[in-house]
Amino acid sequence: MRPFRRRGDELVARLVDAEADIVGLLLDQLEQLLAADPADSGGDPVMARLLPPGHASDPELAAEFRDLTEAGLRSGKSDDLATVRATLPPQGGEVRLDDEQARAWLRTTNDLRLALGTRLGVTAETEPPEDPTDEEGSQLAVYYWLTAVQGSLIDALAAGRGGRR
Amino acid sequence: MTGEESDLDRPWVTVVWDDPVNLMSYVTFVLQELFGYDEPTATELMLQVHHEGKAIVSSGPRERMEHDTNRLHAYGLWATYQRDT
Repeated sequence: MRPFRRRGDELVARLVDAEADIVGLLLDQLEQLLAADPADSGGDPVMARLLPPGHASDPELAAEFRDLTEAGLRSGKSDDLATVRATLPPQGGEVRLDDEQARAWLRTTNDLRLALGTRLGVTAETEPPEDPTDEEGSQLAVYYWLTAVQGSLIDALAAGRGGRR
Repeated sequence: MTGEESDLDRPWVTVVWDDPVNLMSYVTFVLQELFGYDEPTATELMLQVHHEGKAIVSSGPRERMEHDTNRLHAYGLWATYQRDT
């Protein structure tokens, strides 16, 4: 992976074949999660993190908020996911994004990290895997790879914002 | 102003909670993006979330706090709204 850099009006990175494959698979998984019937995913900690309650202590307010916002939140995430899919080179290669597409990538890579991080039980003390070849190690390696992608995109966007001022 | 009115006028707040996944640079970026904070203000709020576990990032009428909470959820931040205490 060559991390995101700003090039004129665009944010540009390069992914190798295997990296584009992994992102595609993760997008498939997230898409299935988002498409699932809310009644079936009520107890799923990943969905609880992606669609968190709006109120910490009042279940009635939280339920009311969920009724108002959940459908929109799901469809926003699906739109972002579709943007990432459309701008992902299927066999690897250059990713070129305008600022709006870059924000879709930011939100979706964050959702992927939240989903993986929740499944893997990531805490503030979690460190990169010592053995990236076993099952949990390889998933954690993907998590840290996504962190690097997202981190470079944030830096590139923030640098552009500073430059425009 | 009577006490009753001041209770009704008590604003609502939007709170961002610490979580182990969201990057510090991401939280700072999102706070700038959604609320127009300058970088030092956004960084200060992010550090408060990180060190104290939560921070109030906006305050005002309930409808606006619901809206802010919803916008933060769209970016994957762990946010709630409540009446100011």
